[in-house]
Amino acid sequence: MSSFAGPPHPLLPLTSSAASRRRNSAVVSHLSSPSSVIQCNFPSLSATSSSQNPEPLIPPPSPLNSIISPKNIALSAASCVLFHIAKPVIPGSDAIFNSGSGGGGSGGDSGGGGGGNGGGEGGGFWRFFSPEAVAKDDDPQQEWDSHGLPANIVVQLNKLSGFKKYKVSEILFLDRRRASTVGTEDSFFEIVSLRPRGIYTKAQLQKELESLATCGMFEKVDLETKTNPDGTINITIPFLESTWQSADRFRCINVGLMQQSKPIEMDPDMTEKERLEYYRSQEKDYRRRIERSRPCLLPMPVQREILQMLREQGKVSARMLQRIRDRVQQWYNENGYACAQVVNFGNLNTKEVVCEVVEGDITQLQIQFLDKLGNVCEGNTQFPVIKRELPKQLRQGQVFNIDAGREALRNINSLALFSNIEVNPRPDEKNEGGIIVEIKLKELEQKSAEVSTEWSIVPGRGGRPTLASIQPGGTVSFEHRNIKGLNRSLLGSVTSSNFLNPQDDLAFKLEYVHPYVDGVYNPRNRTFRASCFNSRKLSPVFTGGPGIEEVPPIWVDRAGVKANITENFTRQSKFTYGLVMEEITMRDESSHISANGQRVLPSGGVSADGPPTTLSGTGVDHMAFLQANITRDDTKFLNGTTVGDRNVFQLDQGLGIGSKFPLFNRHQLTVTRFLQLKHVEEGAGKPPPPVLVLHGHYGGCVGDLPSYDAFTLGGPYSVRGYNMGELGAARNILEVAAELRIPVRNTHAYVFAEHGNDLGSSKDVKGNPTEVYRRMGHGSSYGVGVKLGLVRAEYAVDHNSGTGALFFRFGERF
Amino acid sequence: MAGQLVKEWAGIQQFPAATQEKLVDLLAKLKNQNVDKLTILVMGKGGVGKSSTINSIIGEPVVTVSAFQSETPRPVMVSRSRAGFTMNIIDTPGLVEGGYVNDQVLDSIKSFLGRFLMMKTIDVLLYVDRLDAYRVDDLDKQVVKAITDSFGKEIWHKAMVVLTHAQLSPPDALTYEEFFSKRSESLLKCVRQGARISKKDVQNFAIPVALVENSGRCNKNEHDEKILPTGTPWIPNVVHAITNIALNGKGGILFDKKLIEGPNANDRGKLFIPLILAFQYFFVIRPIQKQIRYDVARETKPSWA
Repeated sequence: MSSFAGPPHPLLPLTSSAASRRRNSAVVSHLSSPSSVIQCNFPSLSATSSSQNPEPLIPPPSPLNSIISPKNIALSAASCVLFHIAKPVIPGSDAIFNSGSGGGGSGGDSGGGGGGNGGGEGGGFWRFFSPEAVAKDDDPQQEWDSHGLPANIVVQLNKLSGFKKYKVSEILFLDRRRASTVGTEDSFFEIVSLRPRGIYTKAQLQKELESLATCGMFEKVDLETKTNPDGTINITIPFLESTWQSADRFRCINVGLMQQSKPIEMDPDMTEKERLEYYRSQEKDYRRRIERSRPCLLPMPVQREILQMLREQGKVSARMLQRIRDRVQQWYNENGYACAQVVNFGNLNTKEVVCEVVEGDITQLQIQFLDKLGNVCEGNTQFPVIKRELPKQLRQGQVFNIDAGREALRNINSLALFSNIEVNPRPDEKNEGGIIVEIKLKELEQKSAEVSTEWSIVPGRGGRPTLASIQPGGTVSFEHRNIKGLNRSLLGSVTSSNFLNPQDDLAFKLEYVHPYVDGVYNPRNRTFRASCFNSRKLSPVFTGGPGIEEVPPIWVDRAGVKANITENFTRQSKFTYGLVMEEITMRDESSHISANGQRVLPSGGVSADGPPTTLSGTGVDHMAFLQANITRDDTKFLNGTTVGDRNVFQLDQGLGIGSKFPLFNRHQLTVTRFLQLKHVEEGAGKPPPPVLVLHGHYGGCVGDLPSYDAFTLGGPYSVRGYNMGELGAARNILEVAAELRIPVRNTHAYVFAEHGNDLGSSKDVKGNPTEVYRRMGHGSSYGVGVKLGLVRAEYAVDHNSGTGALFFRFGERF
Repeated sequence: MAGQLVKEWAGIQQFPAATQEKLVDLLAKLKNQNVDKLTILVMGKGGVGKSSTINSIIGEPVVTVSAFQSETPRPVMVSRSRAGFTMNIIDTPGLVEGGYVNDQVLDSIKSFLGRFLMMKTIDVLLYVDRLDAYRVDDLDKQVVKAITDSFGKEIWHKAMVVLTHAQLSPPDALTYEEFFSKRSESLLKCVRQGARISKKDVQNFAIPVALVENSGRCNKNEHDEKILPTGTPWIPNVVHAITNIALNGKGGILFDKKLIEGPNANDRGKLFIPLILAFQYFFVIRPIQKQIRYDVARETKPSWA
């Protein structure tokens, strides 16, 4: 028995991955138990994440990311179906057409020795030698023996010498009924393991004949050899194909978890009456069996297609059944039911063909934790956390589907709790035809801490570095993952470029994440997050327009606490709401608090009487506000490009708590449409469609608006072709953009046009920074670009000045 | 400047006796009305003679005047007091530079006023232009508009148009009076347009026009007073007009934060925030939620699900 493993093949793009470095290995397990004929090569799904880094990064698509290919499954499934056809002895009786996956009892023939070569006793197995298996015998080094007989005589198989190795130069199938040879493309050639130019002994040929005779496809089969003048032999296999009455009905039933029909040994000395009795009871049994069986998943169109095949054919032949079996299995495989198999054809010689399928019903779902050495151990993660990630189709009683397995793998992976995940279907030894789904998980370390250091040497006095100018810097971070096994986590980090003087640029973050706020059994998926943070950003409000001299920069330092609840509706759509309390400090280049923006006077001096930076007028603001964000993201990847809709509404509602009692309602709505311009077929390797992206962004604020909350125009995510904030800072803004993406080879090129407008609201920002820094308040741009991996290279023309420039940007604009 | 002591109005001594007499009379009139302080803002295009006019009125060269360049880089306030009466005159740089209204100049004027005149009133605005310019163009309108935008329409209640270079020979076929009235009428029309004073409001905004001749070759009368071609001595005339405006019953322009920064946009619509919030919840967030629910329902399930 051999199995056929196809080459591993990238199939499962893991978009929601947990780790930056990840290897997904294709694991194909060859399960065979001695007692049963191998059923199928069970695919196993696995993902390995070998990184401690919980940051969700999108892994580069690599050929290593392969799980298992459907082709692989298809081949393995096809290779393992065995036939054992019983020859009807008495017309009218049920003949059972067995294929071997039914475990041990595959004997199904009732016919006894009737046809001469019907494999009567005990039901032999029909073997399938794959080409590899044959190749073993077919060593070109090996000498072969001449038959030593006169040429062109027909020799019976048993007349051949048992000591000689015969070289076969030709194999022919001779249909006795039609008295013609069968073409090499016929399915018969698949079942015979002999190959032209192969070298075989008499015993091998006999074995081959035996297996042909017992495979159930032939009513009668023989093997004749004819000698050739060059010492080789020709083999002719005259056969009489098994046929049954024509049928005009087709039925497909799921016989999984049912006892396979066991043949009752028939006493060859039965009388005619006993025999009739026997057949009748068998018929009754079979009817009962059909009644007890469950309907199968095979959809009506496929069933009709098969019926059509049956009707066209007339008599039901073995080859016909083989074709039906192939078609049925093909459907199952194409739809991911990797463990489904046609095991039997029953009710032959009636008007109906019954196709018995073991679909692969899941009898059990096992979740196991493995330690580092791969031994089963007790895990920290609670089972409900994992179970809620599993699709319904993996539950007990469902039919195993490889796509459901893949989804389970993806979902579990997105928990970012495991370094290695395997989803394996395994045949259930206690329940025939059942599948146990095994989920094997390797947990990541619960606690981790990391220190990374760097030394920077700053030139001291005289440009020479001194001992005092060596600055130790770095990051200290710790993470406590999966607290209580419920995926709660606490993480913190502190970064500074100079630990001796950390007040300059100390960045810290402490975050607690508490998923399953509504309980781990509740399908509602809400996560509570609380964090302490600080950040430092260059304010795009205090930026000069075109032509203005360098405007002294203003830094916005924020430090505060944030608590929010995120409700995930789908993988991408979510609703977040919470409270933010923060202190905002505005600083100039030398880290001094500045209450007003600076401006360069025409005389060259700098005056600090620019627009006020804060509400309080002191350069430091405190405020508390509610923040809500609802994202509706219905986009999906179609052959590597995004199509669909995305809407984001963000709201900051001031509560009147803080400096100058800030009361405001700051809102922004973003609408992006990725319109597919051409219908394309979905599938790996297929070209993506051209896409038109339409984008609109409105931002507005009613009430107190400090400079750091003003909406700025210009920049790679606002109006391309301008610098951040180059167009203005306003109370209300509107941005519109259109981009046309044309697929070119593996990537796409695009043209775009964008416009941003302050709607005349620049003057409604205190101090009118737009005007003070000589900005237009509106502007358009257009350009062309090409996506090169993660980098966008684009040439954008700034419409205000009419000049263009080449930009390289990371990531997506929309 | 604010800190500096308010100097005694010594320049008044320079004037001929007749002029001095009239000025003292006018000051007394103001004092009678309980006005002991007058703040005068002088604005106009560049090179029309704002600084010279101030020097003439004060009677001493308080602000430097140079003939060929923008002489006043930033606003200057001149304060003089006489007999308990204080007069502040603010000279400003020309608003027009290179054919455009210079916003920066306007800003500098505002910030200057913000520094020295916070919570004080502007009693009189002198809008200065030349008499001997024949045409009124869009630029004039823009200058007026810029002033209106900065200080509000109300300032034109307190405004006076001052025409310098008054000593001129009018073009042929026009008498001096005709020319003056034509010129002033066209300028006033421009001011009304720039300040968006509607036709029916014209009565409300009676903007007087005064003539000024700063040149040293100005004709003088028998009392040695500088006179206009019409024969009226112009300094008392101007001061008289100023007093009239100061006493015209309309309130001065209170210079407060609101005036510098414009209306406080931060307060606008604050009352409606609860309504806006309700609107956002019911008409933005809820529909998006509904849409998401629809998406979930519509989602193409894989064939096995």
